[in-house]
Amino acid sequence: MATRGGSARRRSTGSRIVLYVTVAAVVLWLVAPFAWLFVTSVSYQKHLLARPFSLVPPEVTLDNYRMILGLVRFHAEGQAARILGSMWNSLVVAIIVTVVNLVIGTTAGYAYARFRFPLKTFSLFALLFTRMLPTIVLIPAFFLMFRAFGLQNTLTGLVVAYCSFTLPFTVWIMKAYFETVPADLDKSALVDGCNRFEAYYRVVLPVSGPGLVAAGAFTFMLCWNEFVVAQVLNTKPGTTTLPPVIAGMNGQVNIDYSVIAASGFLGALPAVLLVLIFQKYMVQGLTAGSVKG
Amino acid sequence: MVRPSLSERAVAWWFVAPALLGITLVVVFPLAYSLWLSFTDVNLLRTTGPALELAGMRIPLFRWIGGKNYVQALTDPLYWDSLWRTLYFVAAFVAEATLVGLGMALVLNERFPGRPLMRSLLLIPWSLSRIVVGLLWIGILDFEFGALNGLLHRAGLVDGSIAFFKEGWSALNVLVAVYMWNQAPFVTLLFLAGMQSISDDLYAAAEVDGAGYWRRLWYVTLPALRPIVFLVLVLATVNGFLMLDLIYVLTMGGPGYDTTTISWHGFKTSFTFFKFGPGTAILYTLTGLCLLLTVVYHRLILRRFEPEG
Repeated sequence: MATRGGSARRRSTGSRIVLYVTVAAVVLWLVAPFAWLFVTSVSYQKHLLARPFSLVPPEVTLDNYRMILGLVRFHAEGQAARILGSMWNSLVVAIIVTVVNLVIGTTAGYAYARFRFPLKTFSLFALLFTRMLPTIVLIPAFFLMFRAFGLQNTLTGLVVAYCSFTLPFTVWIMKAYFETVPADLDKSALVDGCNRFEAYYRVVLPVSGPGLVAAGAFTFMLCWNEFVVAQVLNTKPGTTTLPPVIAGMNGQVNIDYSVIAASGFLGALPAVLLVLIFQKYMVQGLTAGSVKG
Repeated sequence: MVRPSLSERAVAWWFVAPALLGITLVVVFPLAYSLWLSFTDVNLLRTTGPALELAGMRIPLFRWIGGKNYVQALTDPLYWDSLWRTLYFVAAFVAEATLVGLGMALVLNERFPGRPLMRSLLLIPWSLSRIVVGLLWIGILDFEFGALNGLLHRAGLVDGSIAFFKEGWSALNVLVAVYMWNQAPFVTLLFLAGMQSISDDLYAAAEVDGAGYWRRLWYVTLPALRPIVFLVLVLATVNGFLMLDLIYVLTMGGPGYDTTTISWHGFKTSFTFFKFGPGTAILYTLTGLCLLLTVVYHRLILRRFEPEG
């Protein structure tokens, strides 16, 4: 097989050095900031302020994590105590939204990939528009609607609001995925006596794991990381998700940066791990969902 | 394909109905309601007055005041200042994200040991919450404890520290760069997908003709990536206009109003001052722009990648 974009076979020493230096620079650019977040989270604030400055902390500590997990008492423990509760809220909301998306978004994606029906083109365009929509324009409406329905400061409210920006993505990703599944598969299931729904549910879905993983992981990530909606709609302490709590700590002068870094690192971990584990599927699903109409 | 039978249409509607119903409830209705609000005198403390009765709940409708909110929003010099600033922000962000995204894609498209690992690392900045993105760049750029300031000081390049967020122009450009750090990986993914669909024969032919790396890049790779470039430009433009959460962690629109973009202006008007009328009016001007960009995006993905539509 020929090599892509360049010829590794006949690459000169000079160009190899250039390549490796560039690769190293890119890795540094991608990883160093996140790695530094981890380093600060296991450092004491006084060492971050020290001059001369050192990239390797002279003393490693888990105190910052102990503080946010409520294992030691400190002056801002009230705020730090919200971390775990809000993480739980984030998890509940993200999981429910992901399940809802996978059930109804996938079904719709299948229909868009396989059937022709009235208003198909129009509703697809509408979906694309909702994907590009600024979510903040919906928040005043959610605010007043949720107040009327008693959904303010509830996780149910967040689930409803989060579906507004995740569902269009899921439909689109799954549509692109199902287009790669041969239609003959459904046809032979129909010949075997399945009805349309059984063909979808028993035959097509079981081979659609990669697409489901891509859409599911992406939905989870969007929900886990969402900030503005949760910040505005769930203001009562204990009802909000992790990002607003971290942002709130960031505004406090009495909390050390190293403590905030620890909560940021802990909060980032689930989404980062999810993306790293399902990297291959997510890349396929997202690129297909972005470049195909 | 044959004309769809009646039953197939019915089946199709059963399949899409739950999702479309859901989107109607959580997107279409709120979107219409927000539009309505932008033409009324919303007062959050007033609970009486006209309302939409829905399942025994009262959704307040407030009083129709015509285009007053839009007039108020558009005659505010802050709106126009924010708009020009947003245009700069978007232009700088789109340029940086596209160039850096393309650069990283070119590197990742080469063969070298550890490339699969690096493709995973690529997604780290993109998978972080923007709150965490802001937070970790504070750890690097902060005046007192920022690592970059520490390193510059140790290298003897600065005497004290650089205050990246103190001056408006610098703060705005830092915002652009940090947002680019977060978003460029996705651009890279799109470019990589495009590069993988370029036929090896083209490169082989170019090599036979004696074309070096840069000539191959200019005459083979970049022309083949043209459709992807348009896609990237549109998607990055939308993301640029919508960026909000990074401003919240990094600058809060300041110093002064120097990093106040349209979306931050609309956000503050709506949720700091709770003026939903003018706030939704500001945000609706943004929505109109996104509708326009959706039309462009729709054309692109249909024409370039699915010839028959």
